[in-house]
Amino acid sequence: MNTLEFFLAGTLSAATIFLLAALGELVAEKSGVLNLSLEGMMAVGAAVGFVVTYESGNHVLGFAIAGLAGVCVSLVFAFVTLTFLANQVATGLAVGILGLGLSALIGRNHESLTIAATEGINIPVLSDIPLIGAVFFQQNLVVYITFALAIVIALVLSTTRLGLAIRSTGENPHAAQALGCPVFLIRYGCVAFGGLLAGCAGAYASTIYTPLWADGMIAGRGWIAVALVVFGTWKTGRIAFGAVLFGMVSLGELIAQAMGARVPSQLLSSLPYIVTIIVLAAISTNTARMRLHAPFSLGETFDGSNDR
Amino acid sequence: MKTMSKLLTAAALTSALISTTAHADTLEIGVLLPSPIADVGWSHALHEGINAVKEKHGDAVNVNVVENIQEGPDADRIMNKMVGDGNDFLLLGSFGYMNAGLKLAQRNPDKSFIHASGYKTADNFSPFTAKYYEGAYLMGMAAAEVTKTKKLGVVAAFAIPELISTINGFTLGARSIDPEITVDVIWINSWFDPAKAQDSAKALLAGGADVLFSNAQDTPSVVTVGEEGGAYVFNLNSSMKEYAPTKYLGVVKTDWAPFFVASVDAHLAGNFEGQNQWLGMTDDVVVVEDWSDDISDDMKAKIAAVQADIVSGARHVYDGPLVNQAGEEVIAAGVRLEDGAILGMDWHVEGVNSPLPK
Repeated sequence: MNTLEFFLAGTLSAATIFLLAALGELVAEKSGVLNLSLEGMMAVGAAVGFVVTYESGNHVLGFAIAGLAGVCVSLVFAFVTLTFLANQVATGLAVGILGLGLSALIGRNHESLTIAATEGINIPVLSDIPLIGAVFFQQNLVVYITFALAIVIALVLSTTRLGLAIRSTGENPHAAQALGCPVFLIRYGCVAFGGLLAGCAGAYASTIYTPLWADGMIAGRGWIAVALVVFGTWKTGRIAFGAVLFGMVSLGELIAQAMGARVPSQLLSSLPYIVTIIVLAAISTNTARMRLHAPFSLGETFDGSNDR
Repeated sequence: MKTMSKLLTAAALTSALISTTAHADTLEIGVLLPSPIADVGWSHALHEGINAVKEKHGDAVNVNVVENIQEGPDADRIMNKMVGDGNDFLLLGSFGYMNAGLKLAQRNPDKSFIHASGYKTADNFSPFTAKYYEGAYLMGMAAAEVTKTKKLGVVAAFAIPELISTINGFTLGARSIDPEITVDVIWINSWFDPAKAQDSAKALLAGGADVLFSNAQDTPSVVTVGEEGGAYVFNLNSSMKEYAPTKYLGVVKTDWAPFFVASVDAHLAGNFEGQNQWLGMTDDVVVVEDWSDDISDDMKAKIAAVQADIVSGARHVYDGPLVNQAGEEVIAAGVRLEDGAILGMDWHVEGVNSPLPK
């Protein structure tokens, strides 16, 4: 595998962690709930996914239980913010910290263990095409599922009744409730879905992308995923583009160093964040465009009464 | 966020810390570590060292370990509690514990402290560091024999003198066998990011390197990439051979046992003296072992000879002439680089391709 192949193929697999987590966050935010506990949910998913896969040798089981664990953590958040109407930002941060602590506890006896790396799937014929084959047709199954999921989520949100219900809940829960939408149920469901994907993103990180468990291994990727949702102005396609861009920048930094680029590595390490700031600044200059896509009631608590 | 998670863990651990009342005849030893003991690098090596003390003294010592504590206020609080709980000998396992540890030592002149990686001393406070570059030099020689591409790769944490001098030692060792060899370095600017470390290792392999040096990474991230990618690989502190059964070149191990045992003995005898402890192969602290079977007997003999010379002092890794990356002679022939210059090293030797971040 040469450097270019590694760069392009690695970009997609690196992007998968970001995209999977960001898609879940997108759905939760579309329903009007800002869940900042993504980093913690991913850490729990990573720990649980690793422990289950290590003990059972079954990746699918690892993903399933990790997803379930993500749902459990997200339901703690949902219970506090949706039922007890606590502040979403504060609760999200608190639950995120809880998740990080929990992940350390769960992974305690598996610290620094590894599992065998999984092979990507080889699509016959196509995978033999030079360059393109290695980049697009030898990836792990989860990579394909994640990008397919992006398309499905985009379609569900924009074209189905369910999508309409989610979006109207996020725009104006009072109006949605008046129209007969089960606002609480939808928000609970969307937050749980976010937890499911965050748990799976964690499992992908600890069992496929870097097949080992070490406390703290998510290393801020959950926060990048949160930023990606804003970066993509709540549009699935842009979020996917952003995830690929992030994957590209984070790998490109390392490759530039390996090739002896005469640029300080600290600057290169901060590139993903610099790019985020530039793009956010660029997007935010057009406030109308920003407001058009941001769910109007994002982060606001809703007590179910219709008196404002 | 990591800090916060550590806070939680710390809170849980502190409450679990056994507060045994000190008996007159039992020495209570407090050990504070920055990462889990179960890591396969730094904390693990320190813990092994303290185990040797326990082994020697048996019931005469009692070891109280608190692991996985982020440097900062939390660590300060815990080390204060350790002293309050009656620990008379403290091992502080991370650079960032230095200032708080030193203050604590000055307030408690009857207790002895040893502190990893620091540079400040007091009458009862000894910082200790390993001369990793000595072992890395020998690894460089071995790497020179097994490499086919003549390109070696290093995944390194932060560009601090300790790591820079290790990379330079590695490069000098390799080029002492084959001057055509060059070394690529990727700085990940993190002590801890296994995913980034693995990506870096893969990038180095894609760039043509066929020997990898995992420099100050406490997870087997780089080592497993070496095994999968068919590249020889070695690391520091603790052996990771089980993660790369066929491609493990060896380990530059730190065996802290001799130093820890000597320090505890000194404390018990009442003559502990705080001083800078910079320990290498002469002190049996830096140990190179778990050599790959693919290294020829001829090379093993050469390595053993160099090792003997370093131990006897007949030879030093940083004996001149030494040339820097720009091709300028930094150390003239016949001159030996001073310890201070190694402890503050901020330049790469010729043969390292990557520029040093400044």
